[in-house]
Order: sequence, then C-alpha cells, then structure tokens
Amino acid sequence: MKIKFEEVNKNYGSISALKDVNLEIEPGEFVFIVGHSGAGKSTLLKLLLNQIQPTSGTITVGDVNFAQSKKDEVEKTRQKIGVIFQDYQLIHDKSIEENIALGLDIVGYPKNEVQSKIDEVIKKANLNNRRFLFPAQLSGGELQRAALARALAIEPKIILADEPTGNLDLDNTWNLIKNLKEVNETNHTTIIMTTHNLDIVESLNKRIIKIDNGSIVFDGFAKKAKLDDSKKPTKHHKTNTNSKNS
Amino acid sequence: MSTLTTTWHHIRRSPFQSLTAFGVMLICFLAISFFTIISSGLSSVLKYFETKPEITIFLKDGLDNNSINNIQKELSNYSNIKEIKYISKDKALELYKQQNKNNPLLTEMVTASILPASFEVQVSDPKVLEQIYENYSSKTSIVDEVIYQKDIIKSLLDWTNVMKKTGIAIASVIGVISFFTVFIIIGMKITNRKEEIKVSRLLGASTFYVKKPFLLEGIIYGGVGSFLGTILSFIVAFILRSKINLFFQPVEFITNNPMFYVTVFFTEIFVGIFLGFLASWIGAKRYIKF
Repeated sequence: MKIKFEEVNKNYGSISALKDVNLEIEPGEFVFIVGHSGAGKSTLLKLLLNQIQPTSGTITVGDVNFAQSKKDEVEKTRQKIGVIFQDYQLIHDKSIEENIALGLDIVGYPKNEVQSKIDEVIKKANLNNRRFLFPAQLSGGELQRAALARALAIEPKIILADEPTGNLDLDNTWNLIKNLKEVNETNHTTIIMTTHNLDIVESLNKRIIKIDNGSIVFDGFAKKAKLDDSKKPTKHHKTNTNSKNS
Repeated sequence: MSTLTTTWHHIRRSPFQSLTAFGVMLICFLAISFFTIISSGLSSVLKYFETKPEITIFLKDGLDNNSINNIQKELSNYSNIKEIKYISKDKALELYKQQNKNNPLLTEMVTASILPASFEVQVSDPKVLEQIYENYSSKTSIVDEVIYQKDIIKSLLDWTNVMKKTGIAIASVIGVISFFTVFIIIGMKITNRKEEIKVSRLLGASTFYVKKPFLLEGIIYGGVGSFLGTILSFIVAFILRSKINLFFQPVEFITNNPMFYVTVFFTEIFVGIFLGFLASWIGAKRYIKF
C-alpha cells in the first residue's frame, strides 16, 4: 500500500506540529523517521493512524483518502496497519495470547483460524512458554516481541514502529531490528520506524526521513554523521555500529 | 475473543458494580410487576361492580298493594330493565336470617316489621340507574332510601386511578434511578478500561467495536434484572394468590390467566433490555472519547 502525504499541515492551536509535508512511501519500503523530540515524528504517525486529522492537506493510504473516504473504508485501511510502541501498549489484564487474539478480533480475522495464527506468531516471536503470562510477568524484550507478534498476526501491509527500541537493551534492540528487516524482506511489508538510535539507522542503510521543527529537512540515504546534529558520536555508539556491521 | 466473553470479563472483574446494576434493575421490575398485578386486580373488582348494575329502592312502611303495583309498573316502563324483584318484609326477614344463620344473636331480636320492603332492579345499561335514582330519591312519601353502587364504583375507580398513578410514579422514579445507576456504572467501567479502549483504537478498532461490550453489558443488566424481578413478583403473587382471592371473593383479584403473565413477562423483559441498552448507549457515547 502506497502512502502519500500532500501539503499536510497540522496545528495544535498556535503551535505548528507539521508544515507542508509532502511524502511518498512505496509499498515494501523500510523507512526511518528521525528527528528530535517534539520535531513532529509522532504527529506524522498519528496522522497515518488516523488518530488525528490534518489541519490541511491530504493523506492517502492505498486508494483511500482519509479525508474523503467513507468511515468504514478508512477503518478497513487502518486495520491493515500494524503498530509497535516504545511502551508496548499491551493490555495488562490480558495474557499475551489474549492480547494477540484481540488484535485479530479487531481486524475480523476468521474465527476458525485465530488459534493457528496465534500459535504461528507466538512461535516466531519465541514466546511459546510465555503465551499464558500477563505483560507484568514478562521482560522488556519479551514484551516487545509480544507487541511485534500482535502486529504481525494481522498480516499488516504496513507496520508503524514508534521508538520501539527505546526501552530495550542492545541484544533485544538488534533482535527486534532483525525481525522487522526479515518481515520487510519476506512479506514486503512497509516498515515505518521512528527512532533516535542513529546506529540502527546507519546499519540498515535504508531510506531516512529527517523531521525538524515540523518540516522534512532530509529524505534519502545517509550516513550517521550527516544526521547526527550533535556530531559527537560516543564510544558506545561506535562500538554498537562496529559490532553490527562486522 | 467474542464480545460476550469480553462483556463477561467486564462483569466479573468488577463484581460489586455489576451486582448493584443487577440489584437496582431487579427492584425496579419487581415494583413494576407488583403494581401491574395490583392494578389488574383492582380493574377486576371494578369490572365486577360495573357489570352488575343494580339499584335497591327501600319502601316506606304501610304502603298498600296498589301503591306497590304502581311503583312496579312505573319501574317496568324504563328502558333496558333486566329484572324487577319485589322483596316483601317477610322475604327480607327470610333473607336476613339466611345471611346471618351462623349468628343467632343477630336473628333473635329481628322481626319482619322492622325490615323495610324493597324493589331490587337490575338493568343492562348502568345509565338507567342514575335516572331511577333521581326519580325515586325525591319521592320521600313512599320511598325510604335508594341505594345503588354509584358510590362503590366511584370509590373503586378513584382507588384504581390512585393506584395506577402511584404505580406509574414509583415505577418511573425507580426506572430513572435504574437508568442512572447503569449509566454511571458503565461510565466507571469505561474509565477503568480506558487503557484497553485506547489500545484497541490503536490497533484499528472502530468506535462501535469498543462500544459493543459495554452496550451488551447494559442489555444484560436490563434483561437479567427485569427477568429476575418479574419472576420474583410472580412467585410472591402465586404464594399469596389463594389468600388474597379469598378476601376479594367472588372477584379473582390475582388472575389465573396465563396470557396475563406471559404478556407482563415479555413486556418487562423488553422494557428492561431497552432501559439497559439506552443507559449503556448514552454512557458509552458520553465516556468513550478516546
């Protein structure tokens, strides 16, 4: 599903969160969205999730123009987008299996295929012995794998990952990236990921959209140094990059 | 996960709120059922009196046969007369003794001379009774007293109206309380499950999808509450039926007609479901804004 933003503006009162954003993301692309906190990354994702409406401009996902299409068409399109968040957004009083089942129920997955689908994604996420546990009983890495399993279960055309590695340690971070890359390559699922971690961005060599102060200031392929405003990569960053690239 | 399973989780995970909703609905429909049964009983009593139009004209002592025949003739000239029965003093004594045969003290001192002769007139149209009453109550030289059921019917009608109005008022107040109880409980449950709703919305759930379990919850409160309230009132009515009906004999105050109970049952279930649905629908509309 192609994503198209045309002259999109979003204002919160007098504050302009996005300014004249023009953007096209082809089906099957892996795109990083980078930028400072408050730059407009989350606003962009919220617009794509139809959680908020633009002040002006049009957003089209596939053939569906969010502003002009019927509500059920927008909802159907919206259900083809999987989501992963930094804080996992799993329901605390539902088991991991129930959380995945909820996602499937929302998109109207065939009832007789739900259990086999859950088994499949649980196995992929290596959560077999955690499936009946509740989120509070899982580690950060396991929670993020559970969130990924829930996103993958609905067989999405697009996955939006909002700072998904923010709460993860190095091993879990790279495992998640590996999983997302695999999904992108095998299923041709469009991945849109916001992140602050420039090591990840550089290691994958994928399209990067940099947002600053509500505007797109860079769209293309780049090295970390070009994106890093601080221009002061730490020893820690270097080590990570080197270890991944090696 | 089906909507019913989700709803069941909501009910089970806040049992006291759920019990309050069930309880208030039960009380509401228990009261409505009782007032319906009592109103039906009073209507039966009223109907009994209305379908037995009768007037009794007590005559002055010492009237000769000629005068009595004239009165009978005059009465028979009225339209819609079903029966005119002359009760002589002796016949009146006979009837009095028969009515009080179990109490000899009441019959010992009574003689035919102290009981008045009378005419008992039955009509097919109650309107004629008013005309006969007006005519004979003014003939004080030959008529001692005219009694007919106007006062009884009026009194019964007043009581029935009062009961109906009181019933409607009480049922309305309890109904409004039930509505707001379910409305508030659904609102509290929505607030408690804010996180779940938010996540569902993030996963692409439509507004109706997130509202569905709460609407079903309201319907269950209304349906189960009205079912239990109605059944409980029927059980109480069946237990007390023989005693109450004996008191109102020959009127069947608490009816045996199964159609009455079937109608009341289904009407109350329908009203209960509607009330629960309305409260939860407005509650969901008011509180689900995320």
